[in-house]
Amino acid sequence: MRYKNLRSSLVLTFFLFFLILPLSQILAQDDTLPPPPPTEVKAGDTPNDNGHSITITWKLSGDDGAGKKNVVAYEILRSESPTGEFVVRGMVPAGNNTYQDRGAKEKEDKNYFPPHKDFYYKVRAKTLNSYSESGVAGPAVAYGQWFHIGKLPVFVGTLAFTIMVLAFISLARKGKEFYVRPLAGIDAVDDAIGRATEMGRPILYILGLGSAADIATIASFTILNRIAKKTAEHKTKIIVPCNDPIVMSVAQETVKAGYLDAGRPDMYKEENIFYLTSMQFAYVAAVNGIMLREKTATNFYLGKFYAESLILAETGSVAGSIQISGTDELAQIPFFVAATDFTLIGEELYAASAYLGREPLLLGALKAQDLAKAIVMLSLALGALAASFHFGFFLKLFTVQM
Amino acid sequence: METIGIWIAALLTLGIFSFLYKDNPFYKFCESLFVGISAGYWFVTTFWQVFMPKLADNLVAGRFYYMIGAIFGVLMLLRLFPKIGWLSRWSLALVVGTTAGLYFTRYLVSNGMVQVQNTIIPLYVKGNLSQTIGNLVIVIGTFSGLIYFFFSKEHKGAFGGLAKLGIWILMLSFGASFGYTVMSRMSLLIGRMDYLLGTWLGLIH
Amino acid sequence: MRRQLPILIVFVSGVFMIIQYFIPHESFEFIYEYAMDWIIIIGIFAMLLGLWSLTRVSVSKVQTKAPGWGFSVMTLIGLATMLFLGIYKGNKSIAEGTLFMDIFWNIYTPIQATMFALLAFYIASAAYRAFRARTVMSTILLVTALVIMLRLIPLGPLSGINQTLASWILTVPNMAAKRAIWIGIGLGATATCLKIIFGIERAYMGKD
Repeated sequence: MRYKNLRSSLVLTFFLFFLILPLSQILAQDDTLPPPPPTEVKAGDTPNDNGHSITITWKLSGDDGAGKKNVVAYEILRSESPTGEFVVRGMVPAGNNTYQDRGAKEKEDKNYFPPHKDFYYKVRAKTLNSYSESGVAGPAVAYGQWFHIGKLPVFVGTLAFTIMVLAFISLARKGKEFYVRPLAGIDAVDDAIGRATEMGRPILYILGLGSAADIATIASFTILNRIAKKTAEHKTKIIVPCNDPIVMSVAQETVKAGYLDAGRPDMYKEENIFYLTSMQFAYVAAVNGIMLREKTATNFYLGKFYAESLILAETGSVAGSIQISGTDELAQIPFFVAATDFTLIGEELYAASAYLGREPLLLGALKAQDLAKAIVMLSLALGALAASFHFGFFLKLFTVQM
Repeated sequence: METIGIWIAALLTLGIFSFLYKDNPFYKFCESLFVGISAGYWFVTTFWQVFMPKLADNLVAGRFYYMIGAIFGVLMLLRLFPKIGWLSRWSLALVVGTTAGLYFTRYLVSNGMVQVQNTIIPLYVKGNLSQTIGNLVIVIGTFSGLIYFFFSKEHKGAFGGLAKLGIWILMLSFGASFGYTVMSRMSLLIGRMDYLLGTWLGLIH
Repeated sequence: MRRQLPILIVFVSGVFMIIQYFIPHESFEFIYEYAMDWIIIIGIFAMLLGLWSLTRVSVSKVQTKAPGWGFSVMTLIGLATMLFLGIYKGNKSIAEGTLFMDIFWNIYTPIQATMFALLAFYIASAAYRAFRARTVMSTILLVTALVIMLRLIPLGPLSGINQTLASWILTVPNMAAKRAIWIGIGLGATATCLKIIFGIERAYMGKD
């Protein structure tokens, strides 16, 4: 009985061996066979770019994600003539059917990609052991576009907003009066300056740690101009320590203009608007010292602030100063809200110049902001309703391609 | 040398901490040294790491367009001479105008359009109650927050009610940021205490 | 002329920068890159103005023997030392291991780190004063802050609820508020940019 079982096992083993061996050879031979090549290769200028890129697309090889599923990557080759030498330009993993052949725009760069020149492309589908190539596509020429179509929503938004602002400014010029609701932080400015005058102590104005290029700093300059005018009228000293030399230069011009507007140019002292250092915490250490030694009655923190905002606000609080703050830095607003007496949150900082001067043109621009905001709110409401019913139209209006 | 460095660092640390008690000559010394050293450090590093590559190297390489930047830079320095100081306004104008134009589109896109795009979300998600509630809160919260920032109408009546909801949601967000930051600030203090008690005095390892 | 020309420069440069955003063509790209570099170069030249201002204020305090003039001497010594050490060996002056960098690591860095560490004390004192205010707003702020702070602390059976609540606050109402502020800032900043470009906002230009 045992012999019979042994014989059967041996026969089975021999049989399987001679069956599996040729099968494995057949399977192994299959991987050395080239896959079906990519087809429908198209090469053309990359849209909405600076003219140094060509986009190549193709239909995936039959063995990519289907068939033998052994395609691992695609190589993209380029030549300056259809029969010339083709050079590999890049590689993408299997499953991808697009590639952007791009290069530098400077002629002296070794990776320079010349525009307005014919190029020909082939796409090679690769397995681990073999490959196949598509036919030649081309000629393709790269050239720069004069308008980025993907940014059309931004263009429309720019035009619309500009027209709104100009329209309201035009209305303001014709004498139309605009109402704006009271803002606590702005209403407190006069009282804060009055307090400093009564106590005979100076006012401290901090423009923040931004540069003259930051919009929050520019908004703060306008506020500084108004406050400088008021301090000149009250004959109160104003100290403006600066973190940036250009900001210092602009602040000097701004304060001087405020004193001129108040009819007190003789009271202007340039040494009260000075530069300290551009390093964040060194600046704060020095400002802390100024607050305590000069015993400032009122502190304004209006502009761009970072982690030092709380140190400034708390030191001012210890010194017993009234503090009015405003910034567009989201991360610092909570600390100003907690530690200062009045805070202008985000947009209120930009509106402050219109509030303080009550100039019709500035109020007109503020009204345009509100109209834009109303349009945004309407878009949000309608957009959310449309999205609930799966209408994608509103979303497309606000989608920007970069 | 390292020991001297550790002692200097530790004493300066204590000098700054002394400010928590009150302003004193020790703090004033640290502060004045800090200001002088930082201003010098910033100038020197900017000179070698920015000025030389941006201007000097470019001019040597023959890119003479950079001379325009240098000319505007020199105009800026004319502020030191009162009679011709007004020429510095040309440089200021270039800086302010260029960045105003740059930031116009940046703010319009990233703060305006992208935020609106991300808030256009369905108010009802079938089969997902938590997401439905979440989406409703986001849309209503954003809407009422914008109502709060509306300057043309006084906060009264129903409008005032929505504005109040807006400021409450803003306060919720501020509280969240406040709480989120506390731990990171505490870790900074722990770092300094570790330096004083560990590296300097060797009391902790 | 003194004011008109700068305002024209603002208008032309501002309008150009807006237009170049929509034009990907390389001719506009080149000018954009040059403009950005010119602004950096102007900033570098302006550094000299800053140093001049700091030196002038400090020297003035020393000359007039104003209160605390001795500390102004320290400022001048620190400034002069770093300027000398940072330049006398050329660009090797700021390499690691030089006295310049030793001063940076042993004096500047510890003071900076300590100033940053002061925030731990100030955040506690700010929270205490905000709590004392006892308004609805400050209560919402502090209760939320507490929920977020406690999410990292084991609270036994309440941990799960607190963490879920904290996570929800951070992802939902927090996001809503941030979006409202961002949209407001976007509109406000955009309007301010237009006001600057059209010359309506010109306080920064000063007056003669």
